[in-house]
Amino acid sequence: MHSLTFLALCVLPNPFEPVKLMRDASESGWKIDEMLETTTIFVSILFLMTVVWMMWSVVRHGPKHKAVYEDGADFKSWRWTALAALLIFVVVDGDLLAHSTAFMFGTFFDFKGAEAKPGAVRIEINAHQWAWNARYAGPDGKFNTEDDIVVLNDIVVPVGAPVIFQVTSTDVIHGFNVPEMRMKVDAVPGTVTRMWFQPKETGVFEIICAQHCGANHYKMRGTVTVLPRGEFDRWAAVTSLNATRGFDPKDMEAHWGWDWAEHARVE
Amino acid sequence: MNVAAARGVIPYRPAAARGEDTAWLGMAIFLGSWAMMFASLFFAYGVLRLRQPVWPPQGTPQLPELLPLVNTLVLAANSFALQRALVAARGGEKARVVSGLVQATVLGILFVGLQVVLWTSLFRSGLAFEDGSLAAVVYGLTGFHALHVLVGLLGLALLLPAVLRGTLNAARNNRLRLWVMYWHFVGVVWLAMYLLIFVV
Amino acid sequence: MTAQEAAFNRQTIEALQPIHSPPTTFWSKYMWSLDHKVIAKQYLWAGLLFLLIGGTLAMMIRWQWAFPGRPVPLLGPIFLRSSGGVVGPAVYMQLFTMHGLIMIFFAITPILIGAFGNFCIPLLIGARDMAFPWLNALSFWVFAFSQLLVIGSFLGDLGAAGAGWTTYPPLSTAIGTPGTGQTLMVAAIFTTGVASIMGGINYITTVIRLRAPGMTYMRMPLTVWGQFLTAILNVLFVPVLGSAALLLLMDRVFGTQFFIAGAAAVKGGGDPILFQHLFWIFGHPEVYILILPAWGIVADLLAFFSRKPANWYKGTVHAMSAVTILSAVVYGHHMFQTGMNPLLGEGFTTLTLIISVPAEVLFLNWLRTIYKGSIRLTVPMLFALSMVFVFGLGGLTGLYLGANAPDIYLHDTMFVVGHFHFTMAAASFLASLAGIYYWYPKMFGRNMNQTLGKIHFWFSSVGITLVFGGQLLVGYAGQNRRLWNPFAYEVFKPLQPLNRWTSYFAFVLFTGQLIFVWNFIYSMARGRKAEANPWSVGTLEWSIPSPPPVHNFDAIPVVVRGPHELSNPELEKKLGRDWVGQAEVVAGEEPGAVRTAAQGAT
Repeated sequence: MHSLTFLALCVLPNPFEPVKLMRDASESGWKIDEMLETTTIFVSILFLMTVVWMMWSVVRHGPKHKAVYEDGADFKSWRWTALAALLIFVVVDGDLLAHSTAFMFGTFFDFKGAEAKPGAVRIEINAHQWAWNARYAGPDGKFNTEDDIVVLNDIVVPVGAPVIFQVTSTDVIHGFNVPEMRMKVDAVPGTVTRMWFQPKETGVFEIICAQHCGANHYKMRGTVTVLPRGEFDRWAAVTSLNATRGFDPKDMEAHWGWDWAEHARVE
Repeated sequence: MNVAAARGVIPYRPAAARGEDTAWLGMAIFLGSWAMMFASLFFAYGVLRLRQPVWPPQGTPQLPELLPLVNTLVLAANSFALQRALVAARGGEKARVVSGLVQATVLGILFVGLQVVLWTSLFRSGLAFEDGSLAAVVYGLTGFHALHVLVGLLGLALLLPAVLRGTLNAARNNRLRLWVMYWHFVGVVWLAMYLLIFVV
Repeated sequence: MTAQEAAFNRQTIEALQPIHSPPTTFWSKYMWSLDHKVIAKQYLWAGLLFLLIGGTLAMMIRWQWAFPGRPVPLLGPIFLRSSGGVVGPAVYMQLFTMHGLIMIFFAITPILIGAFGNFCIPLLIGARDMAFPWLNALSFWVFAFSQLLVIGSFLGDLGAAGAGWTTYPPLSTAIGTPGTGQTLMVAAIFTTGVASIMGGINYITTVIRLRAPGMTYMRMPLTVWGQFLTAILNVLFVPVLGSAALLLLMDRVFGTQFFIAGAAAVKGGGDPILFQHLFWIFGHPEVYILILPAWGIVADLLAFFSRKPANWYKGTVHAMSAVTILSAVVYGHHMFQTGMNPLLGEGFTTLTLIISVPAEVLFLNWLRTIYKGSIRLTVPMLFALSMVFVFGLGGLTGLYLGANAPDIYLHDTMFVVGHFHFTMAAASFLASLAGIYYWYPKMFGRNMNQTLGKIHFWFSSVGITLVFGGQLLVGYAGQNRRLWNPFAYEVFKPLQPLNRWTSYFAFVLFTGQLIFVWNFIYSMARGRKAEANPWSVGTLEWSIPSPPPVHNFDAIPVVVRGPHELSNPELEKKLGRDWVGQAEVVAGEEPGAVRTAAQGAT
């Protein structure tokens, strides 16, 4: 039966080797990975049970077996179906719901906690076809001022501190996505969305646009370089200095930043 | 569901009446579909309006008050005329039916005419199609509604000669009933549009 | 019901459905036919044609991932001349857009709902035709016109539609995707929606008003329940898609700003997320629209070919109804990443997980139906069983995506693509094939070759599992969807071999379908003539000749039992066979009496 074929192919070496969750370089990403892995275990068990049940029925209750005239309409019979469905719901769905709720309210939306941490880095992202504009407030802590650091596609952040993003777009909907930090949020024109993560390792990680945005959607790539704190601070200071020197008050298009507090909504 | 129906017994109605009931059910479902469509349009309007800090948005003109009110009364009168025609049809009074249909047709045409006046006056006061969400909502929703009025007028155009030429019979009365249902629906949708767009 | 009541019922319903003389001209027989069976075949041909087109587009997508930069064989020189036969990024986005739209609206819908709804509903409830035959014919031609608009889209000067099947603005507005190609597709969606609503009105009215005497709701085959509930969803939610399409068309053609925001917005602008709300309020019920008929057909076939009643019929009906009702309130799980309010996200997560309960119930009912049965592995049964397999897999993968948190990682990955391909492309497609192999003898009066059918089955089910399984696997590893070249990203480079293998399996899967095409067409002319009841089953369509006369039933049947009266030991003794017709009166039974299961009838 084809289910055997499928299971057999799962054991084949090469093509299936890289099939595992992507590397996780964030503090909280393990919570998502745990949800994914637990669900996979549950789902595999349920699916295996289904396959075994079906194979058993086909083999043992084939044309030579006399069908039993039961319609399952009496309570004694259907209560098992109802019970099984409820059990699966409480265990599998319930576990997922509990952990998802905890993550969303405890981590994803904990902007208050993220903003309060000393050393948190705030970045405004303005997506457009087909690149990521990123703006840091610079030493004055205010956006859209002389000392703002503005980079294209390649952002730099420190390890061990929250990096908070406010994201928008000028043209179409894009998806600001850093899978190795287990975070993504849509970039919607006319709205400012937000997300945050805290890197736990240094390295270079990819930004991959996660919403179809036109012909060059596949090329809308960026990088997140995570540096040790000291190196990051040095980079920020130097880059901000250069930015101040190169500041052109007449270049209106370059002044796309917005007031952070307006969208911070720290409850 | 009563016990008889549960046992598959069809309640007593003459076959022709059952046929009419079937047509009525089809029309009711059809109008239910249209109701969902207009509900979506109202939902769209609600979302767009609530996302604006001020309504009408900056730079767009205030909407007129008198003309839409007049049009609401026009459609209300139209519904009354058609309802009278329907009652007259059941009573077999052909002349009354014809006069009711004629009144309804005139009122329907008047409605469309006044809508055109409304749109041209808005256009002249500076509201182009491209002028943001207010223009989109006003032109889009009232325009789409007006299309429905035109379809209703088409229905009246088909009914009137049929009634004039022939006698009133069950089939013709049924068609009249279905079109009257349609016109009442169009009237109610306009009332909602008038209240939500021009009053509130 | 007493004999008098039965006689009265029959009299009334015969008067409602007079037998007309059959059509004689070519036009009235094949073009503008009022016969639901002919209209069903029209939908079937139209759907199968576009299934072929949609499948070809998929092969071109897979080719690009297996052999990037290499010209596409056969099709490249014809359709991609300007790029030397190679699929470029702009063409690529048209490929996945048109593939999705065509498969959903112009292939599966006409086959599963247009063809099976039209063919089965009147026959299975004991009626002579639909409630509104003229509207029925009109709905097909409106649909055919929408298919014409799709062809028109391919011929657009700037190419076909390219904003994804989800058509999100602002990308789908004239600013994001200019050109007639996109506009024509939006118009095509609107038009096919009109056809669907017309069909839905007909199906609902027919089931409510034209059931044969004795055919209570709880005696209808589950196939009819699936079509009935789908029609309700169609009638309620396709208009919402209609409004989204209408507003988008206005933005594209008249320059309004319902969905424009950002730099292009004027005087307040519109809201792109509004489109997503309207689209998904339709879009989520749509996936249930595409699966409910499949659930109904499979539930019936599993019972018929296990020679035993469908397990807990009432539970399945209630479960399908619960899914229908809940389908509208879970749509937000498609929008988790748009920055929605956390409480709203929590609400949608909870409701989405709850909707898995009725689905589990009807799945368990399928498993309990086949268990302790006498399973005959006929071709329809093979396809029905594989539908259970793929739907189990597809449904379970929905759990990951229905909760807000895991969806953060999985949104926009191939995992989503694998999930919906298993549930829609696999389950609905396999159920459609099961239905075609099952009703072909009744439709065309001939039998398909069963050996070729079994070979086709193996190609399809193994191929489907490997191809869509491959998508799930790369998606779990994080590979994003809709990328012309996924391997431009370091993290996806190791997945290239797996993607190539998935493409190979896809080519094999597609090739296997050609066996079906041959079998389908050849059997129509040369297949063995079919008997009235080749499957030995008791539903009403098998009590009349294959193919049925235009008026279906010489006399409207009076139904005395449910659709799954199989292997009843008492009746087996009396009749010498393990099945009984729904309208078959057996000596010693009170005509029309409603008996409980304990007394030996459903």
